[in-house]
Amino acid sequence: MLFFELTVQGLVQGSIYALIAVGLTLVYGLLRVLHVAHAGLFTLGGYIGVIVTNATGSLLLATLTAMVTVGFLGIIIYRLCYHPILDKPPFVALIASIGLFIAMEEIFRLMFGPYGLSYDAPPLMETVSIAGMNLKYAEVVVMAGTATLIGGLAFLAEKTRLGAAWRATVTDPEMAGSFGIDIIRVRYLNFFIGSALAAAAGVLVALLNNLVEPTMGSVASYKALAIIVLGGLGDVRGTLIASLVLGIIESFGTIYLGAILDRDAIAFAFLILVLMVRPRGMFAKA
Amino acid sequence: MSKLKHSLGRVLAIALAGNLISAAASAETVKIGINVPMTGFAAADGMSALTGAKLAVKQANSAGGINGDKIELIIYDDQASPKESAPIAAKMTTQDKVSVGISGSYSGATRAAASVFQSNGTPYISAFAVHPGITQAGDYVFRTSFVGIVQGRAGAKLVGKTLGKKNAVVITLKNDFGKSLAAGFKEAASKFGVNIINEYEYSIKDRQFGPIVSKVKADKPDVIYASGYFFTAGPLVSQLRAAGISVPIIGQEGYDSEKFIKIAGKASEGVIITTSLDRDSSVPETRNFISAFKEMAGVSPDMVAASGHTAVKVAVAAMKIAGTTDHKAIRDAIANLKLKASTGNISFNSLGEVKKDVQVQVVRDGAWHHYSVISDPDLLAPPTK
Repeated sequence: MLFFELTVQGLVQGSIYALIAVGLTLVYGLLRVLHVAHAGLFTLGGYIGVIVTNATGSLLLATLTAMVTVGFLGIIIYRLCYHPILDKPPFVALIASIGLFIAMEEIFRLMFGPYGLSYDAPPLMETVSIAGMNLKYAEVVVMAGTATLIGGLAFLAEKTRLGAAWRATVTDPEMAGSFGIDIIRVRYLNFFIGSALAAAAGVLVALLNNLVEPTMGSVASYKALAIIVLGGLGDVRGTLIASLVLGIIESFGTIYLGAILDRDAIAFAFLILVLMVRPRGMFAKA
Repeated sequence: MSKLKHSLGRVLAIALAGNLISAAASAETVKIGINVPMTGFAAADGMSALTGAKLAVKQANSAGGINGDKIELIIYDDQASPKESAPIAAKMTTQDKVSVGISGSYSGATRAAASVFQSNGTPYISAFAVHPGITQAGDYVFRTSFVGIVQGRAGAKLVGKTLGKKNAVVITLKNDFGKSLAAGFKEAASKFGVNIINEYEYSIKDRQFGPIVSKVKADKPDVIYASGYFFTAGPLVSQLRAAGISVPIIGQEGYDSEKFIKIAGKASEGVIITTSLDRDSSVPETRNFISAFKEMAGVSPDMVAASGHTAVKVAVAAMKIAGTTDHKAIRDAIANLKLKASTGNISFNSLGEVKKDVQVQVVRDGAWHHYSVISDPDLLAPPTK
């Protein structure tokens, strides 16, 4: 029974990780940039979700608003922050990204106040009992929503012309460009989708915690990095599995190792262990 | 020659006048320094503490300042970080030459600053940081809030005696605040017949407690003693209740904010905490503080705001008694002070720890209300070394 509950809790947490980390791994796959400020977009998604829900009463509208707004902001960040320095060594973009993330946290604090925001009437708080286990609707929505969004992403990538252009650009940008694919537009699309997914994660986390704080992205910023390394940098499927595995490991670890290691330490100990055996990620082909 | 003399005289006159002006200016203001986290993860508590402190300064100034001199509050952002607070403390003591320093910050930052204040012989008052090491810095360092251990003991009495519960699960925030609360609770638990059936720890960054909640449900306790701040306790309490766990949840002053009720919503009803601020108090100091704070800030005060207010009030009262800006005289005045403040009747023991009653509050109809008072000088005796 406890085993079942811990597994489900791990899947809830893992779903959130997946939504955040997929965007990050997409950016890395395309540009080889570690986009730390992605976690700031996740936080912004949470703020927009709470503000729009409180103003209109519609969580769905709020989620869509957050995804579209943050998606476009992702494009703007690419255009203003990364595009001009892509020919510099990778650490230049990394430092710019860290700086941007810190600035975003402080801007959120100045704009929305240090105490954080909560839903006035938190939606989806009713519980449903599954096999003796109480789950909030919000938790069910987190899992179902993640599956839908990532399923949609997979469809886009595998079954559409747009997806083919995207995959071609990731594999070989120069070749793709010479075949007439507009590489810059692919990058815009990449940032839009990754950022929109992070925004959706932000709305869902805000729902689970009923709290959005300026520093909500701080754990996400480094946890997502660990996950995309585990999943094999740039590998979307690997990232997805790594997210769920890490969620479950943290869930059990919190109970059985909690007295020795905290949640983050468990995650990073697992990362180190995996990298010792498989230095290129869990699913790398030898 | 006479021309030269004339201009020399002028220069002298200007210099003298300048001196006089600066002397007059320094006689008119007394400086109180405060380090608070205004940015970073602790900015919410920093904002409350600073607003409380500003209110106390404003009230003191409109009541005539310190024997006619105006008080100036010198404010620094320490980001709740020791590496910020130590240089800030050095600047406050050596450059700003504050008469008294106040910490509106967390334990790490406060400890680092306390030793700097001590070595420069400047009095320093910690408003709400709980680590025992703070006052151990020396005889110039005081604290107007409970050390964690004392509040933990009060929690054990509340659980065992007031509520009559036997089997407790302890959920501990893994920092100095949570750990010292848990230590006090466990130390006094057996004395009040409380049996601790399990203990869990979480990090200050955690907001999702699913695994712990599942395990606590399987433990079937009579009562849950959970430490945390409103931003961790809000999600924790709401997740415990959502899982169908209905036993009493006991918190502490970290919960003490309207924001906790906002986050946890209906789940917050019936949560009981040990704290320093009685919302239903009939004591004029507390009543006046609550209404003046609401008027100034537009929101209800929390425990941290009341603590910031109290710490400044202690500094002001001591400086009035000392009648000078001499640090030694002010220190002695603080040590012997007896003061009615918004957080209770304040006096200090030989280590500079506060002696006062513990207020117990409960959430009822979406607001904090009086539940009981724990007044037990032996149980609540703060450490003396």
